[in-house]
Amino acid sequence: MVEPAASVLDDGLYQRLADMVSADSPDRGPGHTDLRPAVEQALYHEARLLDDRRYRAWLERFTDDCVYWVPLDPVADPRTKVSYFLDDRRRMTDRIGLLETGWAHAQEPPSRTSRTVSNVEAWPTGDGDTLARCSTVVWEHRKDRLNAFASRNEYVLASLGDGWAIRYKIVRLVDCAGDVRKFSFVL
Amino acid sequence: MNDLDALIQPHRVHRSLYTDADIFVTEMERIFGGAWVYLAHDSQLPEPNDFITTRMGLRPLILTRDEDGALHGLFNRCAHRASTVCQSECGSARRFQCSYHGWTYSNRGELVNVPFAEGYPPEFDKADHGLALLPRLGTYRGLIFGTLNLDAPTLAEWLGPAGPLIDEFVDRSPAGRVEVRNCQRMIFRGNWKLAWDNAGDGLHPTFAHRSFLVLNERQHGGARSLSQFKASPDDTGMYGLDLGHGHMFVDQRPGLQQSFWETQRPVPGREWYADRISERFGDDAAGVLEMAPGSMVNLSIFPNLLIKGNTLETVDPVSVGETRLHTWVAAAEGAPDEVNVLRMRIAEDFPSLGNPDDLELFERCQQGLAIPEVEWVDMSKGLGHTAEEVTADGVRRAPVTHEGPMRGYLRAWLELMSANAKLTTARAGETSFEKAA
Repeated sequence: MVEPAASVLDDGLYQRLADMVSADSPDRGPGHTDLRPAVEQALYHEARLLDDRRYRAWLERFTDDCVYWVPLDPVADPRTKVSYFLDDRRRMTDRIGLLETGWAHAQEPPSRTSRTVSNVEAWPTGDGDTLARCSTVVWEHRKDRLNAFASRNEYVLASLGDGWAIRYKIVRLVDCAGDVRKFSFVL
Repeated sequence: MNDLDALIQPHRVHRSLYTDADIFVTEMERIFGGAWVYLAHDSQLPEPNDFITTRMGLRPLILTRDEDGALHGLFNRCAHRASTVCQSECGSARRFQCSYHGWTYSNRGELVNVPFAEGYPPEFDKADHGLALLPRLGTYRGLIFGTLNLDAPTLAEWLGPAGPLIDEFVDRSPAGRVEVRNCQRMIFRGNWKLAWDNAGDGLHPTFAHRSFLVLNERQHGGARSLSQFKASPDDTGMYGLDLGHGHMFVDQRPGLQQSFWETQRPVPGREWYADRISERFGDDAAGVLEMAPGSMVNLSIFPNLLIKGNTLETVDPVSVGETRLHTWVAAAEGAPDEVNVLRMRIAEDFPSLGNPDDLELFERCQQGLAIPEVEWVDMSKGLGHTAEEVTADGVRRAPVTHEGPMRGYLRAWLELMSANAKLTTARAGETSFEKAA
């Protein structure tokens, strides 16, 4: 056992996340076309790692202070409302570790997925990061069922010289207020 | 339906309870109409004229609070041509107007306007055409229940020894009240009683939640969440109770080796929020932090409320083979905000990491139950066992892995299904209200 790093989540980070999903945030206007090709490649790469279930490699694409958040209320402050989950790096590692135990019944047999990423837009955040938004549909087949998970995703990407790291990933499912089938693969 | 007795034997239950569509229809009438059914928590409709919509079995219902603060259970069905009259999950309204032909009702259920009134026969009286109402409503520590059964016991009698256990749950909050926030919704392809069986089942965690147990040991070590089920759970002192009327209780607290907070797996924000609490409360911080993790008990109020962790989960049958579970998260009123922020993250932890395995297993059970020739489900563990005690108030207590609580709720099931009590609706102003606590 290695004691994992402490959580970085504090009130300031919560405020930043709440601001990102706030219904009051102004429209940012069209995305910056010069940023888009590289951002697309980053998002496509992430999608491919997840479809290939290369979860450890996926985790490597995130910063140490990352947040991976699937809200239930698309505009709520996560301090006052429960989410499907709001993970820091430690709980993301747990989520992957759970699948690696070999005893996660809900992933036996595992899901096969194909995700389509589209409507990619990107803007500079002003502090060296890039805000990206896209529409995503994850098709999941498991046992006798084909499920679709449609979402509007938001990312804050940190530039790492020759590549990208994901600082925040927010998956806003279109049916987050409805009856969601439990999923234990990574959206 | 004459042979219901034969379907529940002391040691086993017949598969048709999970697969027979006729039994399901009867359950939705007699169980989800004849018992006291949990409807909502009063913090979901705190202000005058607030309302929420829910279901009582398959019956759509609007629970309203009128301008004087009194509660009313209105069936969501226009008295004219049956359309539902309210489409919102919650909100504030004095009137509900049917979109189809414009009949309009007060939030007490009275018909207050019929458009183009000319042409109705002379004996047409608006007082005869209000929304149908629940004839009995009751509350216990903020939990709102209703029944269509005039012969049902009082709500206090119905809850019986479950009442003081509800008190324990609510009294973890300094103000003696919980505030329900939002809910996690999930759906599984299985009969509603699979969730009910599971709620009183202290035998399954060792196996069904092995992924969670192994993960916690590998990543976090020590006596963390659910480690009390790692080996020989019955040697830990954990126990289950058959509380009567179908209510069940599983107490994990005797199995813990350390405080709730120390047992709780680390959740996002744990360190920062624990530091803030430590700064604010000094020597009392440990006590404050104990409010953040779940209650470490599972209290199930038949037929549709599972109180577990810090949540109120409703079991909402859709069809014989499909069930919704809505898990409402409770904040502790009067607790520091930091505690309730932690409660939000904790309420996501087992539900997103552990519950998918429960739902997978419910669905596997429903698949196995499809074989007509293999008829019986075994629930014999603990039957006649010397470790089972009956207390003065009729509560049966047994080691946690025994299946007594399940046998108990099936007795209540059989009683309600066999009694075939007369179920009635009321007219506006006729509902009787019981404040049980």
